[in-house]
Amino acid sequence: MTQQTWDELGGALPNEQFRSASDAIVANIEEVIEGKTATVRLALAVLLAEGHLLIEDVPGVGKTKLAKALARSIDCSVRRIQFTPDLLPSDVTGVSVYNQENHDFEFKPGAVFANLVVGDEINRASPKTQSALLECMEERQVTVDGVTYELQTPFMVIATQNPIEMEGTYPLPEAQRDRFTARIAMGYPDSGAELAMLDAHGGRDPIHELRPVSDAVTVRRLIATVRDVHVADAVKQYAVDLVTATREAPDLRLGASPRATLQLLRTARAVAALEGRDYVLPDDLQALAVPVLAHRVISTADAQLARRTTDAIVSDLVHRLALPHERQRSPYDTRPPGSGDGTGRSQYEPRRR
Amino acid sequence: MRGRRHLGFVAAAATLLAAAPLSTIYDRWTWLVQCAVVVGMVAGAATLVRWWRGPVWAQALGMLAALLFGLTWIFPSGEELLALLPTPGTLAHFGSMVAASGEDMRSYGVPVQDIDSLLFLTVFGVGAVAIVVDLLTVGLRRPALAGLPMLAIYSVPVAVHVNSVSAVPFVIGAVGFLWLLAADNVDRVRHFGRRFTGDGRDVDVWEPSPLAAAGRRLAVIGVAVAVLLPLAVPGMTSGLLSQLNAGGSGDGNGPAGLGGSPGRINLFAQLSGELNRSEVRDMVRVTTDDPEPFYLRFAVADEFRRQGFVPRTPNGEQVTARLPDPRDGPASQGISRTAHQASVEVLDFVMPFLPVYAEPVATRGVDGNWRYDPTMQVVYSNRASSKGRKYSFDYVRSEYSPQALAAAQSLQEGHSLRTLYTRVEESADVKALVDRLTKGKRNDYERVRAIYDYFSRDNGFTYQLSTEAGTSGHDIINFLTNKAGFCQQYAAAMTWLVRQAKIPARVAFGFTNGNNRRENTYTLTNLNLHAWTEVYFADIGWVPFDPTPAANVPGSLRSDYAPDPDRPDLPTPTTDTSAGPAADPSAGPEASSRPEEAFDGASADGGGAVQDNGPSWPMYVVGVAVLLALLLTVPALRRVLLRRRRQVRAAAAASTLATVSGGGDATPGVARVVLSESELARARADAHAAWDELVDTLVDFRIRVDPAETPRTTADRLVREELSDGTATEAVCLLGRAEERARYAREPLRHGPLVDALRSVRRELSAGADRRTRILAATLPPSVLFRWRSAAMDLSAGLVGLTGRLRDRMLRWSPRRILASRPSR
Repeated sequence: MTQQTWDELGGALPNEQFRSASDAIVANIEEVIEGKTATVRLALAVLLAEGHLLIEDVPGVGKTKLAKALARSIDCSVRRIQFTPDLLPSDVTGVSVYNQENHDFEFKPGAVFANLVVGDEINRASPKTQSALLECMEERQVTVDGVTYELQTPFMVIATQNPIEMEGTYPLPEAQRDRFTARIAMGYPDSGAELAMLDAHGGRDPIHELRPVSDAVTVRRLIATVRDVHVADAVKQYAVDLVTATREAPDLRLGASPRATLQLLRTARAVAALEGRDYVLPDDLQALAVPVLAHRVISTADAQLARRTTDAIVSDLVHRLALPHERQRSPYDTRPPGSGDGTGRSQYEPRRR
Repeated sequence: MRGRRHLGFVAAAATLLAAAPLSTIYDRWTWLVQCAVVVGMVAGAATLVRWWRGPVWAQALGMLAALLFGLTWIFPSGEELLALLPTPGTLAHFGSMVAASGEDMRSYGVPVQDIDSLLFLTVFGVGAVAIVVDLLTVGLRRPALAGLPMLAIYSVPVAVHVNSVSAVPFVIGAVGFLWLLAADNVDRVRHFGRRFTGDGRDVDVWEPSPLAAAGRRLAVIGVAVAVLLPLAVPGMTSGLLSQLNAGGSGDGNGPAGLGGSPGRINLFAQLSGELNRSEVRDMVRVTTDDPEPFYLRFAVADEFRRQGFVPRTPNGEQVTARLPDPRDGPASQGISRTAHQASVEVLDFVMPFLPVYAEPVATRGVDGNWRYDPTMQVVYSNRASSKGRKYSFDYVRSEYSPQALAAAQSLQEGHSLRTLYTRVEESADVKALVDRLTKGKRNDYERVRAIYDYFSRDNGFTYQLSTEAGTSGHDIINFLTNKAGFCQQYAAAMTWLVRQAKIPARVAFGFTNGNNRRENTYTLTNLNLHAWTEVYFADIGWVPFDPTPAANVPGSLRSDYAPDPDRPDLPTPTTDTSAGPAADPSAGPEASSRPEEAFDGASADGGGAVQDNGPSWPMYVVGVAVLLALLLTVPALRRVLLRRRRQVRAAAAASTLATVSGGGDATPGVARVVLSESELARARADAHAAWDELVDTLVDFRIRVDPAETPRTTADRLVREELSDGTATEAVCLLGRAEERARYAREPLRHGPLVDALRSVRRELSAGADRRTRILAATLPPSVLFRWRSAAMDLSAGLVGLTGRLRDRMLRWSPRRILASRPSR
C-alpha cells in the first residue's frame, strides 16, 4: 500500500522540463478556473512545497473546483472527503475490521490514503474528526491500533472552508491551522472572467473533460527540483525576521510558529522555481507572508475590535520590516512617518509581555 | 528649635568664611580675630533670644546690641561706663573712626597694616552682615538671599585691588554660602520627618533622575561656554586665564603683571623684562613744547634692601590739589628754571604711576584717584592704573650749571634726607672703590662726577642686556666686577657708590626720549624704558645723572654738569650711535647682536610696515569666507569622489571580457558554469556599488527610499512613479536585477552596463526634480549629510553607552555603597 517512501523523489528536472511541466498543470487548471492565475500558481506552489492548502472563501467562488481541478490535472490517486458533522475519525484515517475469513483484523485504509486529499467544508466536521488529520498532515503517516502506515508521496490535503456561515461549524483549532502551509482566498472573478465562465460552464462542467497532464512521478521530480533552489543567508534572515516580527507585533496575541518559518521558506522556493529562478528573493517572502502566516496568527482583542484582520496586520508588518543587509550600510529611511499605517502608529514597537 | 540653633551657627560661620577675601587687604590677621569675636557675640545673642522664643524683631535688637557691645569692647574710647557700656562719647569715637577710615582708605595702599579706623570699619561691616545673614537665614528662612550681603563683602577687595587677586579666598567664601544653603535644605527636609538618604537600603542614590541629569548636563555646558567663549572672542584674552598663565612666573611681578600697588612693584625686574622683549610696542606718546626735554619719569627706587633698590610706598596729596612749585624756593646762581607744558597719551603702559617730567606743577585730565609724592616726584595711585589715560600737565624744567652744583654744600650729618638716602649695605670692596675715586675731591659735585666718570669705557664698562652671574651674591657688586650690564645696573651701581660717599641718591625710572620723534611728539616704546641716578644737592634738589653709555641708549641726553664720559675718547666727533661701537674693540663683535639696536631699527621700519598693512581685516574676512566655502564644498566633494570610485569599479567590471554568458535569468536545473570566487565577489561588489550609488542618488533627489523594499520593488516603483524615459526605465530595471542577483542568487549578474544605466537614471531623475532639489543635490548632497549625521549619532550613542558602562563600574566604588552599613540617622 505504501510503496513509496517520502524521500525517494527522483532526480531534479532540467529547467525547460520544469517549466513545461508546471506550465502545463497551470494551464490545465485554468481551463476550469478562469482569471485566477496567481491563486492557481500559489496552489501549485504549495503542492511543490510539500505542504497543504486551505482555501477559504464564500460559497460558490470555485474552491472545490480548484481543488478538484488540481487533483485531476495530476495523474495520481485522489480522494475526496465531504466533511459533515457526523463524520468519524475512522472515516478519515481508516479502520481495522475483523475479517472472518482469516480470523484477523484487517486494516481498511481511510480517505487520506491518496496523493491528493480534497477535504470539503472541513469546518463542518467535529473537532474530533478534524484532529484525525493532524498526524497525517504533518508526519505523513497514519497510526491505527498501534500500527503505523506510511502515506504516499506526493501527499497534499486541500481543504476548503466557508468563513461566513458559522452555524453548525467547528472552527479549525490552532494546531490544525498551523499544519496548513497556506490559506488562500479565491476572490470573485472579474467581469471578463465571469463572462468567460458563463460561456465555458454554460452547458456542462468542463472539469469532467479535464485530462491529467502530469503524474506523481513528475510531481516528485518537480518537488526535488524545488528543494534545490538556492536561498541566500540574507533571505533566510529575512524569513526569520518576518516571523519574529509577528511574534513581537503588538497587534498579535499569538505569532507564527517555527514551522511557519520552515514552510514560508519552502513555499518561497516553490514560487521562485515556478517563476523560473533558481534563487529565492525577499519579494517571494513578501508575497507569501499573508497566505502563509496570516491564518496561523491570532490578533489581540483590541485589533479585532478595530476590525483589523490578521491579513492586514501581517501585510503591514511586511511593509514596515526593513530588509536585512549582509553588508554594512547606512540604512536610509526617508519614508514619511506613519505612511501606510491606518492606525497612525508611526513606529513599530515590540510587544511586551 | 534645635535645627534653628544649628542654622544660626552655620549662618555665623558662613559669614566668617565669606569674609575670607578681606584677607587680601590686610597684612595681618587681627581683623579676623576681632571679626570672629563680634560675629560670635552676634550669633550668641541671636541664639539666646531664640531660646527665649523671642520674635524676629527681638532677635534683631539682640544682635544689634551684641554688635554694639562687641565694638565697644574691642575699640574703647575710654569714656565707657564700667568699660563696657557705650556712652555718647563712644558713639562719637566711632563716628570719628569712620570719618578717619575714609581718609585712610584713600591714603593707604593694600595690603594695609592694622589701622584702628579700618579695623573698626571691617569689624562693623562684617558684624552687620552677620546680623543680616542671620535674620535672612533663620528668621525669614530665605538663605539664598543671604548671598547678597555676603556679596557686599566680596565687592570690597574687588574694589580695592586694581588687578586680580588670588581666587582662593573667594572660593572659601563661596563654600561658606553653599554650606549655608545645604544646611538650610537639610533642615527643611527634616521638617517632614526622618531624612531618607538611601544608606544601606540598596538604593542607588547615584542614579539620577532624568531631570537632574538634564540639569547637570546644562550646568556642564554652561560652564564650558562661559570659559570657552571669552577665549574665543578676540580682545578678551586679558582675562582670568592669561592672568593665571602670567602668574606662573613667580611672585606676580613678571613683565606681564605690570601694575599693582606702587610700593610693591619690582621696577628693576619689569625694566629688564621689557627691555629683553622681542616685540616692540608703543607705550607712551608725549607732546611737549620743550625743545629738548629731559627724560619722562614715573617711579623712583630709593629704599635699599638686600636684593637692591626698591620703591618706598609713596605718600602724598591728591594730584588735583596745588603742587609744590620749585620756583617758589630761593633762586640760585647757575640754575635756570623754565616752565613748559606737556600732554601724555598712555598707549600700552600699565602701572600705578603716571609718567610725567620731573617737577610737575599742575595737571589736567587726572582724577582724584591720583596723588603726588613731592619727595619722590611721582604721580601714583593705589587703585587706578595708567593704562589708556590721557592727560596734560605743566612742569618746570631745571637746568644746572656745574658751578652751581659745585657750590652746593654737603648735607650735615644727621639730616633726615642724608640718613634716609645714604642707607646702603656695608661692603669693603665698594668702600675701597669709593674712597679711591673720591680721594682729594673737595665738594659733593666733584665726588659725584668722579663716580659718574668711573662708568666709562676706559674703565672697562660695556653695555649689554644680559648680565653675567657673579660670585659675590650681590647683583650690583657683580656688575662692578664684571663691568657689563645695562641701564639698571649702571643706575643702581652709581646710586650705591654715591650713597657710599654719603651723598643722598636714588634710582629713577622712566623713558628716554627715544628715536621716534615727530615735531614735538615723542612715541616711546618698551625699549625706551630707562633707569638713571638722581643725586640730592642741598638747596638745589634732585639732579639727574645718567651713567649708562649714551651710545647704547637711543634718545639719551647729556648735560653740561654730567657730560658723556666716553665722548673725549672718540677719535672723531661723529654721531654717537655710529662711532660708539666702532671705537670700542670689545663691543665691535657684539654690535650686530645688540638687541636694542636691532629693535630700534626694526621699530623704525616695522612701524611703517604695520601702518601700511594696517587694515588687514579684509584679508581675514576673505580668508574666512574662502575657508567657509571650502567647508561647504566638502560634502559635494565627498559625493563626487564616492561616485567616481563606484563608477571606476563598475567600469572596470564592464571592461573585463565576458567569458561566460551567464547573463539573463538562470533557471533551476541548468548546469552552472563554475567561476572563480574572486570573480564572483567582484561582480557582486560591482552590483552593490552601482546600487548604493543609485540609492544615494535617490536620496539626493529627495525620492523616497524604503528599507523594507526589495531592489525589485524599488525599481518597479521608480518605473511607476519617477521615470518615463524608456532607456532610464530599462536602466533602473537592470540595476535592480543586478543588485538582487548579487544579493540573493548563486551567481551575480555580470558585465551589465551599470555605469551607463546609472548615468541615464541620474539624468532622468535630475530632469524630473525641481531646481532647489537639483542645486542641493549638487552642493550639499543629502546622502552625504545623512550618512555623516548618522555616523555622528552612532558615535554619540556609543559614547553615551560607554559612559553608562563606566558609571556602572564606578558605582561599585561608590562611597555610599561602601558606607552602606553605616547606621542611618
